[in-house]
Amino acid sequence: MNNMIFLERNVQVEKNKIAAQGVQVFYGENHALKDVNVDILDKTVTAFIGPSGCGKSTFLRCLNRMNDTIAGCRIVGDIRLDGEDIYEAAVDPVQLRAKVGMVFQKPNPFPKSIYDNVAYGPKIHGLSRSKAELDEIVETSLRRAALWNEVKDRLHAGAIGLSGGQQQRLCIARAIATGPEVLLMDEPCSALDPIATAQVEQLIDELRSRYSVVIVTHSMQQAARVSQRTAFFHMGNLVEYGETGHIFTNPSDPRTESYITGRIG
Amino acid sequence: MTNDAKATFTSIKNPDARTKKRNAAEKRFRAYGLLAVAVSVVALLFLLSSIWTKGSGAFYQTYLTVPVTMSAEKLDPKGNRDPDEMKKVTTIGYSKLIAQNLIDQLAVNGLDTSNVSDKNIAKLLSSESAATLRNQVLADPKLVGQTQIFTFLASGRIDGYFKGRVTMESAALDNNTSPAQLVIADEMKNIGILSIKFNWKFLSAPDASELRPEAAGLGVAILGSAYMMLVVLGLALPLGVAASIYLEEFATKNRWTDVIEVNVSNLAAVPSIVFGILGLAIFINIGGLPQSASIVGGLVLTLMTLPTVIISTRASLQAVPPSIRDGALAVGASKMQSVFHHVLPLAMPGIMTGTIIGVARALGETAPLLLIGMVAFVRDFPASPPSGFFDPATALPVQVYQWTQRADPAFTERASGAIIVLLGFLLVLNSVAIFLRSRFERRW
Repeated sequence: MNNMIFLERNVQVEKNKIAAQGVQVFYGENHALKDVNVDILDKTVTAFIGPSGCGKSTFLRCLNRMNDTIAGCRIVGDIRLDGEDIYEAAVDPVQLRAKVGMVFQKPNPFPKSIYDNVAYGPKIHGLSRSKAELDEIVETSLRRAALWNEVKDRLHAGAIGLSGGQQQRLCIARAIATGPEVLLMDEPCSALDPIATAQVEQLIDELRSRYSVVIVTHSMQQAARVSQRTAFFHMGNLVEYGETGHIFTNPSDPRTESYITGRIG
Repeated sequence: MTNDAKATFTSIKNPDARTKKRNAAEKRFRAYGLLAVAVSVVALLFLLSSIWTKGSGAFYQTYLTVPVTMSAEKLDPKGNRDPDEMKKVTTIGYSKLIAQNLIDQLAVNGLDTSNVSDKNIAKLLSSESAATLRNQVLADPKLVGQTQIFTFLASGRIDGYFKGRVTMESAALDNNTSPAQLVIADEMKNIGILSIKFNWKFLSAPDASELRPEAAGLGVAILGSAYMMLVVLGLALPLGVAASIYLEEFATKNRWTDVIEVNVSNLAAVPSIVFGILGLAIFINIGGLPQSASIVGGLVLTLMTLPTVIISTRASLQAVPPSIRDGALAVGASKMQSVFHHVLPLAMPGIMTGTIIGVARALGETAPLLLIGMVAFVRDFPASPPSGFFDPATALPVQVYQWTQRADPAFTERASGAIIVLLGFLLVLNSVAIFLRSRFERRW
């Protein structure tokens, strides 16, 4: 971990993007998440770390209500996006998910062309008035996802033919094409090789200038490399949350220290 | 841990007793498998070859080519060419006319007919031929007085003689034919009056009565089956797919959906005759739909096919990975958009395959149709849809069933021929299903 440069990083104080208060999640009888309070800052990369089954992915999926699709899942507490309760009855999850995009662990491009993958979101949300505008959105999104140069000559080829890393960057392009404000990433690099991982990590760092990024990761090095703030989850509890540098060098909870030094997890 | 004292060298070239036993078991299992495959293949070949040898004759038919002078004094005694007046001449009159023309024709060609009675020469012709000629003349009275060359069906016995079904020995014992008749038939073949042609009428003509197997065809049955399949496809596909999508994608999983799921699976296993009873009670007795109509047959077969379509559709929907749904939802697609834009297109090949296999099963189904009266003798073609759905019709498998029950051995040949046609349609349907599956199946 000698490449940790976070100490020098200047963490800007940004305003709150998402505020979660007393969030509890139950899968049937299973109490998966116990009283989580987190404030996620705008234009910041926030990493969730913790051993498998600690609830970090569950919490991530609460932030854009993807847990709604899971039968028997019950959520208690208060999650606010820009001050608005996202679990209020008046909130349409479709509108929410246009603002809070998500990238999954396994690249899951639609089995359509590269172009259609990126254009799908803007199309269903009516973000473009003409073909030219849509083309522009697709190009911008692919450029931001650092994929444009690799695919610009075969936009209408199938997305399934791309390599794993390209597919994941395509999924990122797809997520940012709808113009989200928050980008949730659920272990986006766990299915990728080190080179693709490095590309995606660099991309995350660039995305920080526009979006609030929340990334779940199993790799502590990755959390240290890309994030400004880190939350450590353990057994459904949020153990510690703070600046990444602080968490990794001077954790206040013994469980955090055990985990980052590799004794539990 | 190690037990060096016991560790002696064993060559990997000499299998020990245990390995030998395992290898022998594997060899035995392979032999059993091969035997099972061989038995199935032999049974299938036997079935197909027996159907083919019995049924291929139905596709060829013996015809007599006879110039007929339609004399006005016999066909239109009053001479005013009024079809209503001409209808008074029955098929018996036409039959005599054709027979006389045939006898004249044989005399012209110098055939010795001295040891065959005129009546027996008339019997060379199918009794269908008089009806055919009468219909033509009534439709076009101008034919009266003219001489035209007609091609008539030979009688079933003569046809059977050229297909090997009737021999000189069997003819000697048969009241309907005689060896002398067969000799004449052979000579007629030599001079070209009698010929064997491909039997298009087998596919287009309606059924015929017990006495004229040579005229019996599958036209009404094919049309009836086609109408029923249209009804099945038009109802079972949308209903089944809509039900499956609702159950699989939208319904909350609770006790009720479990009950429905179990019942759908049970319905798929219900014997088809039960659906026939249900159709008789509901569609005919309560619903007041006509008997023997293809709409009722189609509805009954729809009920029967629906569970198959639902089960296969649900299986194909389940086979679409959840990551595709997540991906669509995560970019802000509604549940319905994610289903119709992403899940359904990916499940479509599986749905089509399941539906086609369900339709193929329905095409071969006989039992429920017997109960709703489609076993009737139908000679009139149903009208074109939609009113034709309410006209009486038969179906291919029912036609096979009917023909196998008739006495004349010529119907055995017809029945096997009908089986060949039915198998042909099934083969086409299943090939389409396999093609769709291999062509459009996607992998992730």
